[in-house]
Amino acid sequence: MQLSIFRRVAAGSAVAALTFVGVGALTATPAYAATSKVSVVHGIPDTPVDVYVNGEKTLSDFKPGDVAGPLDLEEGEYDIALTKPGEPVGSAILEVENAEVPGGANISIAAHLDAAGQPKITPFVNDTAKVDAGKARLIVRHTAAAPAVDVRAGGTPVFEGLTNPNEAKGDVDAGTVKADVVLAGTDTVAIGPADLNLKEGTATIVYAIGSAEANNLDIVAQTISGLHSAPAGVPSGDGGQAGTGVGTWWYVLAGAGALLLVGGGARVATARTGRK
Amino acid sequence: MTVRNRGALAAMAVGAAALTVAVLVACGSQPAEDVGAEQAADLASATPSPTAGGPSVPVTRGELPSGAETVPPTRLVIPAIDVTATVNAVGINQKTDEFEVPPSVDQIGWYRYGPGLEADTGSVVIAGHVDSATQGKGAFWRLRDLDQGDTLTATGSDGKERRYRVVAREEYQKTKIPLERYFARDGKPRLTLITCGGPFDAEARRYRDNIVVTAVPA
Repeated sequence: MQLSIFRRVAAGSAVAALTFVGVGALTATPAYAATSKVSVVHGIPDTPVDVYVNGEKTLSDFKPGDVAGPLDLEEGEYDIALTKPGEPVGSAILEVENAEVPGGANISIAAHLDAAGQPKITPFVNDTAKVDAGKARLIVRHTAAAPAVDVRAGGTPVFEGLTNPNEAKGDVDAGTVKADVVLAGTDTVAIGPADLNLKEGTATIVYAIGSAEANNLDIVAQTISGLHSAPAGVPSGDGGQAGTGVGTWWYVLAGAGALLLVGGGARVATARTGRK
Repeated sequence: MTVRNRGALAAMAVGAAALTVAVLVACGSQPAEDVGAEQAADLASATPSPTAGGPSVPVTRGELPSGAETVPPTRLVIPAIDVTATVNAVGINQKTDEFEVPPSVDQIGWYRYGPGLEADTGSVVIAGHVDSATQGKGAFWRLRDLDQGDTLTATGSDGKERRYRVVAREEYQKTKIPLERYFARDGKPRLTLITCGGPFDAEARRYRDNIVVTAVPA
């Protein structure tokens, strides 16, 4: 695990730069519109919900800690509402109108608590750029009713001062690392420790959810695969015994042969015609 | 016939001989032609993902990913070219970003980040040395002699033997080889064997080309 890389990129944590993002499978949008991959993450403890998109029930009894999707959604605007299971969309407990889904992105919509413990919805744009061969991406999102935290790997802080609703990320050597979450600047463990199996060529997104006050902090994880790159090359021989190329000396030999042939031929020809 | 004439004729004879030998060497050292390139490309075409039709949305528990159950190959036998080699799980050379082919040339390396023998999609990649300056001929010395229809057997860490049949043999300049295709994790299940070949640059101590053999489950 390359901790230095972790630390460097942690400084660049950012809020998703989206107005808002919705989800809906049953809308009539133009066929030529670009699609996005959209997932929904449930990070509000003890609150199963039905999810309505543009007034249609899209997810029933969606449970805390679950991840739905990804769905291929065409770009456009969507209305999204969360209700208690079985209740009509009119009595939504959380609602957003005209949520904008851009084209060609990979997005996670998290329903979670804000720092003060109020339910809210935050869209995150997932970094799906390829990782180098041998690497994995770790993204940590603070979506819990809790103060600033540090994320530690093997006891060493790798992401520091992360606050709700922000993320920190880094590309690290693939493999397993023991990670935990502590209150920023302290050794007071808030979540974990847990073994993170960071598979090569994937992004592992870990959401800190729940509430410190209610003593139900937890994590939800989402994985995006297919981000792998091929090695830069396959060097598999330096002996040269198997070389198939035509060496320079063979060209020299062919050239000399041709010269001798032409030169000798000319000589014979002159001799035959009687000229000296 | 004058002495001068005899000299000219002798020169012609030597010239003809030299030319003939050079041309014969040139022809003899031409690499065998690629076979099955199209089949290899077809195998790599991505398996279509199910389209998001209908109202059902996949829902999973947001648990941390567990260690995948991969079956590494541990032994590879290729009767046609007298290969019986131990397979090591290898990764990436941190300095060069290249495939870490085992330094011992009688052993070969499986790319541990890619699919294992259990996978039902993607390319299981095994690479080995053709030769080495210090150790001589490598396990994949004769890889380029493999032909369509030749069979090979890979034994996994689970002890199970899996048979494969060669469908393609290709040679690419290292600067042009489509490595993404051979290190793909999608497409039909296949076994990809890679070594070096082509002309050798004695100064850089490297071969220009890669030889790639593609095999499918028999």
